[in-house]
Amino acid sequence: MNHLDEMTCLLYLEGQLDRARAQDVSAHTQDCTACRTLMRALERESRLLTRVMLEEEEPLPARLAQFQERAKRSLQWIWGVALGLAATGAYALYTGYIEPWQQQMEQAGFGGTSLLGLLVFQGALWKGWQSMITLLEVIALLTLAGLCAAFFGRRIRIRRSSAVALVLLGLCAILALPQAVSASEFRKGHSVEVREGETIKGDIFLMGDRVRVDGTVDGDVFIFGHDASVTGHVTGDIIAFAHTLRIGGQVDGNIRSAVNTLTVTGSVRKNALTFADYANLDPAGKIGGSITAFVESLNVDGKLGRDLLIFSKHVGISGAVGGGIQAKGGTLSIGATGEVDGPVRFEGEIAPEVSPGAKLASPMEYKKWEHKRSYRDGSYYVWQVIWSAAYILFGLVLFALMPKFSDEAVKSAEQYGAAAGLGVLVGFGLPIAAVIACFTVVGLFIGVSAFFLWYGALYFGQVIVGALVGQWMMGRTSELWPLIGRMALGFVVLRLCTMIPHVGFWVKYGAAFWGIGAISLAVYRRLQPVIAPGMPSPPPLPPNTTVGGVQPA
Amino acid sequence: MSAPGTTKPTEAITRAKAGDAEAWGELYREYAPAIFRFCRRALPTREDAEDATTEIFMKVRDKLVQYDQSRSFSAWLYKVAANHCWDTLRRRKIRQDKETEDVDSMPLEHPDANQLERLIEQRTSEEVRKALDKLGGRARMALVMRCYSDMSYDEIADALGVRRAFVGVVLLRARHELRQALERTSALARPGGLAAGGAS
Repeated sequence: MNHLDEMTCLLYLEGQLDRARAQDVSAHTQDCTACRTLMRALERESRLLTRVMLEEEEPLPARLAQFQERAKRSLQWIWGVALGLAATGAYALYTGYIEPWQQQMEQAGFGGTSLLGLLVFQGALWKGWQSMITLLEVIALLTLAGLCAAFFGRRIRIRRSSAVALVLLGLCAILALPQAVSASEFRKGHSVEVREGETIKGDIFLMGDRVRVDGTVDGDVFIFGHDASVTGHVTGDIIAFAHTLRIGGQVDGNIRSAVNTLTVTGSVRKNALTFADYANLDPAGKIGGSITAFVESLNVDGKLGRDLLIFSKHVGISGAVGGGIQAKGGTLSIGATGEVDGPVRFEGEIAPEVSPGAKLASPMEYKKWEHKRSYRDGSYYVWQVIWSAAYILFGLVLFALMPKFSDEAVKSAEQYGAAAGLGVLVGFGLPIAAVIACFTVVGLFIGVSAFFLWYGALYFGQVIVGALVGQWMMGRTSELWPLIGRMALGFVVLRLCTMIPHVGFWVKYGAAFWGIGAISLAVYRRLQPVIAPGMPSPPPLPPNTTVGGVQPA
Repeated sequence: MSAPGTTKPTEAITRAKAGDAEAWGELYREYAPAIFRFCRRALPTREDAEDATTEIFMKVRDKLVQYDQSRSFSAWLYKVAANHCWDTLRRRKIRQDKETEDVDSMPLEHPDANQLERLIEQRTSEEVRKALDKLGGRARMALVMRCYSDMSYDEIADALGVRRAFVGVVLLRARHELRQALERTSALARPGGLAAGGAS
């Protein structure tokens, strides 16, 4: 006897078969025990589903006890006012405290005793920093707005997704703002030059084996070449990627370079930032601002207006430094003709050599590199607690803003192999790609943004792994607040592991890269077309199998 | 099967239509728990359900004048709720079932009834609810519409935007998904279980 298929049984039970078909089914079940049993099981399943769904296992939430449409409408304008006040407050905070402080520091000759100061406030790395700061302010304000929406949204029915959308919309609006258009000129060849007496209005891109700028450029100069020389006058910045770069002329802006050898014999009004093997400021050379250098060897024989921040193997100072020196590296020697008007701090393996004839404004501060952590120092533990709290707060904000994505990222982290592999790939690959993108002007913003994203992901990755560790300890969950609780607990455990001597470093960066992999995996999955797990394909249709149940009732 | 809140407070509806806030309050108090539970079953989180309940009643209030009093109020209410929840799920692109509406793709298995009975007997309500949470958006929506609010196949087809003839397939597949989810958590789970089909 051929049995009824499940579809037919279900449609029969639901009263969806036409009369004739229903009679057939009824007659069949009278004689067939198997089909009768199936019919009964399906009916029980239906009853179970209905009972389970109708059960009142949780009461109506208090906030739904009264219809709150009126409250919502009346809160809409309050919401607008609150956001406006928050934005005004943030702006007032910036203009009232941060900006004046920044200006005062600059007027007082603050030339970047920290890398951040140099990079951000002096614009040594990239002239677009100021725009980035403005952009960051806007992002901060929008994030503040998004956070308010996320936390108060429950009460006034604004979804988290709307809050994120608000932030993204603002970001897009900023990015869509028209940029100032300036004329640019490109010159490419084996040997390219701006001839003496020639004046270029606007920026110029020079690409060639041999690049010379003997004339005047009223804008920025971008150099991509082997041997580059600037003896003319540049009113803007010089951005150079070359083997050798010699600056013999006058530069009114900054120098930013990635070169093998940089030699400055001329005059640079602002700052210099360089990644080089050798960098020399000749006795005749002058840099009005500061030098930030990541080099093997640096000689400052000329005059430097402000500070020197350096990471180098060898540093020699025989000229004048108008500000302070902060150096880390192998050796530092200050010759008899050396003069430093600010504090000198040096961290390294070998004590600095200072000639008795050298003029220093204050005694040299030397700190020998120690490879041990100060586990006996109480402040170490205080900072660990502060950092842990900061991470957890960071994680809380991200989990609250992106609950679904965070959950997906934590789930992705459970795929250990894929997450770790992708983590290594993205963790190392993304910053390299970002640097490569920065080589092109168009890709500069993308490169810098990608780098920021990567940097943020290093931290978020640890939070994700923390959440996973928390789940190992307390069991899985997809609910937001329990997940945040597990994240906090797991992160504390992770942090404790990072404090273990010799192993902690690997734990920290292992977790960061694993987390980056999990985030990348979650992003990758979001970009994929979603296909539900398909039903198992039915077996081939045997002869005389009943196909039924699609007829309208 | 009986959907919750099936009484028909005709007088309150008439007064609410005329703008009586008191009557509207009565209707809300009467139906809000049922609609909240409907949303709780259909949507992923409690917070979603809370938001959806409020939004549904705002829609209902705006559309109340369009309501034909000769028809069931609760059925109309559930229709609005189902449309709203399904829109919410679709907007979020929550896992969509990608089956075609091909009638030939209907499962034709005759599963092992004894195994099905065992699966049903061994499960607590809480376990079934957790398994329901794991279903795809359309599968869960279909089961909720059918088993919770007792909506007809026509109404389900209308809400999900599928052909009426396909509703049975959606419902049966939803049951299969549910059984798979239950089996995954079952200590008695074995390969080639119920959802994969049984004897023919």
